[in-house]
Amino acid sequence: MTIIEKIFSTASGNEVNPGDYIWADLNLVAMRDFGGPNVIQEYENSYGTQPVFDPTRVAITFDLHIPARNEKVAVNQKTLRDFAKRQGVRLFDIDTGVGQHILIENGLVKPGEIIVGTDSHMNLLGAMGAAGFGMGTTDIAGAMYKGKLWFRVPETIKIEISGRLKEYVGAKDLILYIVKQLTTSGALNKAIEFSGETISAMNMAERITMASMVTEMSGDVGFILPDERVVDFIRSRSGEKIEPVYPDADSAYDKVYEYAVDDLDPQIACPHSPDNVKDVRDVAGTRVDQVFIGSCTNGRYEDLEIAAHFLKNRKIKNGLRLIVVPATMEVAKATLRSGLHEIFLASGAVVTNPGCALCTTGHPGILAPDEVMVSTSNRNFVGKLGKGAKVYLASPATAAATALTGEITDPRSV
Amino acid sequence: MKGRVWKFGDDIDTDQIYPGKYLPLTDKKEMARHAMEGTDRGEEFIKGVKDGDIIVAGKNFGCGSSREHAPVAIRGIGISVVIAESFARIFHRNCVNTGLPILILQETQHLNDGDILEIDVTSGKIMNQTQNKVLKATTLSQLEFQIMRAGGLLAYLRHQNKATKEGL
Repeated sequence: MTIIEKIFSTASGNEVNPGDYIWADLNLVAMRDFGGPNVIQEYENSYGTQPVFDPTRVAITFDLHIPARNEKVAVNQKTLRDFAKRQGVRLFDIDTGVGQHILIENGLVKPGEIIVGTDSHMNLLGAMGAAGFGMGTTDIAGAMYKGKLWFRVPETIKIEISGRLKEYVGAKDLILYIVKQLTTSGALNKAIEFSGETISAMNMAERITMASMVTEMSGDVGFILPDERVVDFIRSRSGEKIEPVYPDADSAYDKVYEYAVDDLDPQIACPHSPDNVKDVRDVAGTRVDQVFIGSCTNGRYEDLEIAAHFLKNRKIKNGLRLIVVPATMEVAKATLRSGLHEIFLASGAVVTNPGCALCTTGHPGILAPDEVMVSTSNRNFVGKLGKGAKVYLASPATAAATALTGEITDPRSV
Repeated sequence: MKGRVWKFGDDIDTDQIYPGKYLPLTDKKEMARHAMEGTDRGEEFIKGVKDGDIIVAGKNFGCGSSREHAPVAIRGIGISVVIAESFARIFHRNCVNTGLPILILQETQHLNDGDILEIDVTSGKIMNQTQNKVLKATTLSQLEFQIMRAGGLLAYLRHQNKATKEGL
């Protein structure tokens, strides 16, 4: 059996096969400041003041519109705080950061678990070997009431990566390359298992980058097999014994893709689709107005460390705006201690409070028509960051190199 | 159910089905007035659509954000069923959870804009009265039908809890 087949067999109490429809027990139900208020409205319309299925298995995170930027948002956030108090569920307020990362840092994500949330990038929990599903508000309201939801057991695609990535070519370049190969609908109704020597060598931040963009291929869920380092991390954060779920050697896969990546060069997704991916050198020289380094895909300390490597003792291009946003407060504090924060400020960057930041138009930093941004985030749909704006998706190394020159730049050329 | 076909292409995302600028609306009737507004034939659709009409689309219908306004608006404007080659996962779930019937059909090229169809959602039988042809679509699963018949996910779970408490 594949990982998802094992997880669903355990959670439904029956051995499952791809294509089966099942009810599965959930380990954690999450919602955020965006979408969360609608969940509560639906919950209370249907179930009134009835208690949630298990207050210890519900978490609310604040990561999108933080701190509240207008009255409507402030009211929404108050709705969530009041609900959390009434129901006794955990709430991570505006001083924490990107929801999924907060769940990981707090030991709330363990291999083999099923975690649902209102964020479409819940998939990134697959970096810890957990099944993370993004869902709509009705699903989350129902999940919070009953602690279980219905699923179709997906077929599994195996993506096996071999080879050693070149210097300044990283997980983001690799996942962009894979999105290009599979396209934005290539994993529709499927689970993905990433494996191979290249993946095994990755640290947690790189694994998060890979798993987060399963969403961009329309995958249900994606997994990276936890290694000893990941298991140690989860054990230290959760204080619990960790038993990862691994696929059987004779698992039946829907498809197997194999890529050798020794020769991969820096990749970039051009407007307006995450699968419109080219070599960075093919679009090098394109003028850029703003660079964003952060997001659930590339906001870990290791991501910022790569960016700082390029920005140290240098100034960003005059007229270009660089916005750096650590994924979480834990990451932000680490950048303060190590001097990264200082490097960013000295280079001319603006560093904002931890959160999702430039994921969508709700956040400060959006673009004017015709402006161009290089972003380390995961989506570049039309209008997502301002009407008429163009967004390119790239690695922290490419983003930092671009900030120095003011035009799209291969990080190996600066 | 019987109605006229409104044809759409591949990758119709939720922003085309229900543009983001209407997200603050909460009244279902108001929401319905903007169904499919962001598509290239939005205006024509909203003016011409009648109760019972049918949307036929290509691959990956409902991709993009998870907004539930999308199926709610489509149902609200009178569409009886959406037929597509494939549906995006979250949109598919939202349809089941909010009660919009859907069918999966690979051969949507056999259905033309304006055709009159008579559809049995339970069996998947599509009678094309205009072309006098019958097609067979993939239906929802038993589990999904149970949820829809209960009036959506939240009602289904409430009934289930009640049944458990009463020892049924």
